[in-house]
Amino acid sequence: MSLLDRLLHREGLHSLAAPYALDALERAERHRFERHLANCGRCAAEVRALCEDAVRLAWSAAAPAPPALRDRVLAAVRNTPQDPAPTGRNTPREPARGHASRLPGHVWGTEPPPARTRAPRSRPLLVPFATATAAAALVVAALFAVQAERTRDQLDAQRDRAREIAHVLAAPDARGTTGHDARGHGLGVIASVAEGRAVVTLSGYPSPPRGRVRQLWLMRPGAQPRSLGLFAGDTPLVATGLGRSAVSLAVTVEPDGGSVQPTGQPIVQLALKSAGFGE
Amino acid sequence: MEADELLVLVAGGDQKAFEELYGLVCGPVYGLVRRVVRDPAQSEEVTQEVLLELWRSAARFDPARGSALSWVLTLAHRRAVDRVRSARAAGERERREALRAGTPAFDHVTEEVEAGLEREWVRRCLARLTALQRQSVTLAYYDGYTYREVAERLSLPLGTVKTRMRDGLTRLRQCLGGVA
Repeated sequence: MSLLDRLLHREGLHSLAAPYALDALERAERHRFERHLANCGRCAAEVRALCEDAVRLAWSAAAPAPPALRDRVLAAVRNTPQDPAPTGRNTPREPARGHASRLPGHVWGTEPPPARTRAPRSRPLLVPFATATAAAALVVAALFAVQAERTRDQLDAQRDRAREIAHVLAAPDARGTTGHDARGHGLGVIASVAEGRAVVTLSGYPSPPRGRVRQLWLMRPGAQPRSLGLFAGDTPLVATGLGRSAVSLAVTVEPDGGSVQPTGQPIVQLALKSAGFGE
Repeated sequence: MEADELLVLVAGGDQKAFEELYGLVCGPVYGLVRRVVRDPAQSEEVTQEVLLELWRSAARFDPARGSALSWVLTLAHRRAVDRVRSARAAGERERREALRAGTPAFDHVTEEVEAGLEREWVRRCLARLTALQRQSVTLAYYDGYTYREVAERLSLPLGTVKTRMRDGLTRLRQCLGGVA
């Protein structure tokens, strides 16, 4: 298949996004489209938005259910075993909560967000020195506690990271801030302007789908987002080289190995102003 | 409690949480299924299947991908469409229904159901679409036709129908104020 054919083929599949959102594909076509979706960040974001539009159509049809249905369903539930949780999520829809595949400037910190944004509520929280040190002790303890079975190399890497984390947390100007999305998932940051470093943790998020990772980005005015690294499980990430102009941090879901630039909208974003940045 | 939190409890086998969740979703699910399937007895059957599936597969719900209610309604819509298509394939669906399906769905489903605020908004916003956008969207979503069938009914090329569907949904989004 030539490059042009392949591009045309892809465009053909892209155009199925709206019929897919409306459940207007035949079964075989639907499966083919879902396979394509798993590898196409651009259409996944679009499909997601279109599916949400379709759900609006569903809402408008709401009608009272027959009262007898309740007893029948509840009785059936008592006698129906549940399926176990899936081990890996390989469903095709993009986990990023974005609506548009083209990212508006405010998303990446180059413009102030509009009033009606879904950016997380930022709850500034000054971390006094003593708290930061206590937090550091906790993080270090947690990191070492689970390492008994790791290899020597991994242990060394973990120890280096723990040292880095402790270093940031112990900085005299270390300050913390947290943000939560509407579902209570959070992004926590303890940062030191003097060190230009931050310890970043995600909390409450389920594992990303198979083949995808969470990537942390630094947002600065008038500049492209810069990758600060990939999250591995719940392990805190140490971000370095944060200049005073750092406006905010954002997390996106990217294909394994990460991306050069974000391909979807952030799942959570956090302003760094209360941590002393953004000047 | 909200549907998202309830669904997490349901995934852990909590029947009380399921009862509460039932109260939140049964109306939207039944209404949607009824709109697509039409026949009341079959609609009840499909609704029951959907709610049981909700119980069974609650652990598959991934909050990172959208709200619990969207998930349930997406599931319900797919089941309703499956039912209506197999009924059509079996020739059960009456011919007169097929004939009148050429007009916008929201015009002829006026039986039952109270007019909620959301319904009124969607109705107004649908009315602002072009006739082809509206017909493409509603024939697919409320009547369960594939886009090929929609193209045949409206005597339009496939590409045009796909574009009308996308433009219709996008304009609907703008009219309804973007984020749900």
